[in-house]
Amino acid sequence: MTTHTDDPTTVEYTAERPARLDWARHAPEVYKAMVRLETAARKSIDHTLYELVKIRASQINHCAFCIDMHTKDALASGESVERIVQLSAWDESRHFYTAKELAALELTEAVTVLTDGFVPDEVYENAAKHFDEAELSAVIAAIAVINAWNRFGVTCRMAPGHYQPGQHA
Amino acid sequence: MTARTRLLDGAVAQAMSALSGAAKKGLGDPALAELVVIRASQLNHCAFCLDMHLAIAREHGVSERQLDLLSAWEEAEGVYDERERAALALTEAVTVLTEGFVPDAVYERAAKHFDEGQLAHLVGLIAAINNWNRVMVARRIPPGGHQP
Repeated sequence: MTTHTDDPTTVEYTAERPARLDWARHAPEVYKAMVRLETAARKSIDHTLYELVKIRASQINHCAFCIDMHTKDALASGESVERIVQLSAWDESRHFYTAKELAALELTEAVTVLTDGFVPDEVYENAAKHFDEAELSAVIAAIAVINAWNRFGVTCRMAPGHYQPGQHA
Repeated sequence: MTARTRLLDGAVAQAMSALSGAAKKGLGDPALAELVVIRASQLNHCAFCLDMHLAIAREHGVSERQLDLLSAWEEAEGVYDERERAALALTEAVTVLTEGFVPDAVYERAAKHFDEGQLAHLVGLIAAINNWNRVMVARRIPPGGHQP
């Protein structure tokens, strides 16, 4: 039964759908390799920027579990609610972000939506203005890794809502 | 065109190789793995990856006909078996996430042909090649360089 009231004690949400597949249990060595990759990708990039990239890619790929996890981690690290809320419209809310963050977000979108075309020169070159070559390589790796996590999360339908900040840190 | 940058952190590259290796090994079907990897690389337009995996597929004995028709596999009746078709449908759904979720029908079709262990590794393989595709396309690594 669905009720239409603002009283949170009587609102009935739809039931949580079970996950399709516990992939980490069925492919533990794949999970281990992902964690190793995550650790390697994380070490050479600014943490605040890293979470913004993770959240934005997860939004584009519609990964509910990943959005749950990375918004909670970002908030726990002191990120503002405003910057997280505005992230899906960053192009219209540029004054919430640094020029460096905007360049990384633009690159995140281009590298995430590969099926629509290549990574445009102007996007790459703008990022190259704000990051040196090693930093840029690290940003690209970070974008690729969250895209991989997104694919596990969406395909296996990992349920959002249960993540505690820092749980996988 | 020359590469935009060839830099890739050594630990990242090693972990990516470990990921691909673990997924491929667990799937236990090298020829099918190459079809999956090539189809994802077609969708993501990764020239380096296509060049490399077409060569590897031939080493594994994948037929020229299967390679030639791969971008139209759905229409290519009699060229791919049901298991291959289920894996290719899953590859496309998992690669093109930006257009929507992975449909139940696609997931269930794959689950009919692969047990949970194989399926987890197949998803891992699709995630891994998507990772490589991004790292190669973003840096514009030119095709060539694969040594059989």
